[in-house]
Amino acid sequence: MKRLAPVLLVLALIALAFYPAVGTGYGLRAMLQVFMWIALAGSWNLISGLTGYVSFGHVAFFGAGAYTAAILIASSGWSWPFAALAGGVAAGVLALGIGWPCLRLKGPYFAIAMLGLNEVLRALVSYFEGLTGGGNGLSMPTLDATVPVYYAMGLTAIGVTVGSRLIIGSRFGLRLMTIREDEMAAEAMGIPTFRHKLLAFLLSAIGPGIAGALAARDQGYIEPLSVFPLATTITMIVMTLFGGKGTVWGPVLGATVLFVAQEMVWARYPYIHPLLFGAIIVAVVLAMPRGILGLLQTKYRLPRTI
Amino acid sequence: MDVRKSFGGIRAVNGVSLALERGRIYGLIGPNGSGKTTLFNCITGVERCDAGAIVLEGTPIQDLKPYQIARRGVGRTFQMIRVFPELTALENLLVVTTGDHAAATTRARELLAFVKLEALAGEYAGNLSYGQQKLVEFVRMLMRDPSLVLLDEPAAGVNRTLLNELLDAVRRLRDAGKTVLLVEHDMKVVMGLCETVFVLDHGEKIAEGPPGVIQTDERVIEAYFGR
Repeated sequence: MKRLAPVLLVLALIALAFYPAVGTGYGLRAMLQVFMWIALAGSWNLISGLTGYVSFGHVAFFGAGAYTAAILIASSGWSWPFAALAGGVAAGVLALGIGWPCLRLKGPYFAIAMLGLNEVLRALVSYFEGLTGGGNGLSMPTLDATVPVYYAMGLTAIGVTVGSRLIIGSRFGLRLMTIREDEMAAEAMGIPTFRHKLLAFLLSAIGPGIAGALAARDQGYIEPLSVFPLATTITMIVMTLFGGKGTVWGPVLGATVLFVAQEMVWARYPYIHPLLFGAIIVAVVLAMPRGILGLLQTKYRLPRTI
Repeated sequence: MDVRKSFGGIRAVNGVSLALERGRIYGLIGPNGSGKTTLFNCITGVERCDAGAIVLEGTPIQDLKPYQIARRGVGRTFQMIRVFPELTALENLLVVTTGDHAAATTRARELLAFVKLEALAGEYAGNLSYGQQKLVEFVRMLMRDPSLVLLDEPAAGVNRTLLNELLDAVRRLRDAGKTVLLVEHDMKVVMGLCETVFVLDHGEKIAEGPPGVIQTDERVIEAYFGR
């Protein structure tokens, strides 16, 4: 398994690299979504899975990236790759501004503050119509960029996953976990917990910012409700918990499996789809709170960096 | 150089002033609720003093954050064990230091060997026994090589054999020039280990002196047993 895993990984990456040449339009779009969810779930894992600070408003960074890119593309004529990077930067700046006061809050208070952030952002983009188009949304010039956006989203997912691997395998990552385990003891051991949380929060915002920008370009049109839905935050949380929070591959596994499951259920049972999805969530959380990889990790003594 | 501390007008601790000299073991005793742990929390910055000063080697530290105080050489253990349960014993020690990874690993392994836990280095701290967790917490505090060591009830819940090893370790710290201040309810431990004992009652220092003298002090006996 130890030797097989890297080989399989390389094969999968090669297959995904050549997929646009053979794939259908639906298949390509579905894979793009999978990449997006990997980037989102993996990013949420960096702050919430590692430090235990549950962010209920992580979609705010997705929306901030989407609006930044859409405005730059529609009003300033930026090319989308640069607009996507700007989306990542904007989300990072937002994370620093929000994290500075909010990461001093503990536990549930932080979760609620983040929930509020998302609502505030949605209200703000609706209010400033001149810049954002308000409730009418914002349209970008038409452009068929599905294949390049596919690659860009894939790279974002890879970037988040490689970043997670580097962080979780480092003492910086372990120090983030001490915050989850016992923040006061971490402080007493000389770990500057606030600075660690803020850095983790910043890193966790960049991926969603870029992903939001790419999704905006791909759809060509955004509106407040489409890029700030609470459901998106819930989905990235559930994917991470399902795959295994605090692990490298947990969010990848969770995003892939649950996205595929969701598509299948959606196609067959469009009306009870949310109900079934909810039932899966409850079952997973009750039966294996550490998620699939967390369970395997403790049972078979797997290294921390799976 | 000697380590000096003075306290004044702290909430649960009302105008207590202690002076500690380098390389000695001090005991801090008193009935429950007398302010011992609060005093520890003030020294380590977990709680802020309302008034007064805490001076470590000539520098006031009372306004610093807990991690800054730890980085200046104050290490502590807790009354209720506070290891990082989902980190391994080795990782519990590794997270404390920055810089060269290999050197940190070597030091962490040496410290685990020091308390005979090297075989359990890869075990999650949460899976260890109470006594083992206590030892992990003890050596985790030593990772930063503190000059002032605060121990909150080191003997509580520890069996005799382990206790003697722990007490030996504390003496070795003293011999290495570190200052030790410990809160302890086990009088045998306090009397056998400490060179000077401070007695707190209702947030005030009611006595200070060598253990033998303290044991016969009228006010101490009154505080503990009533009249």
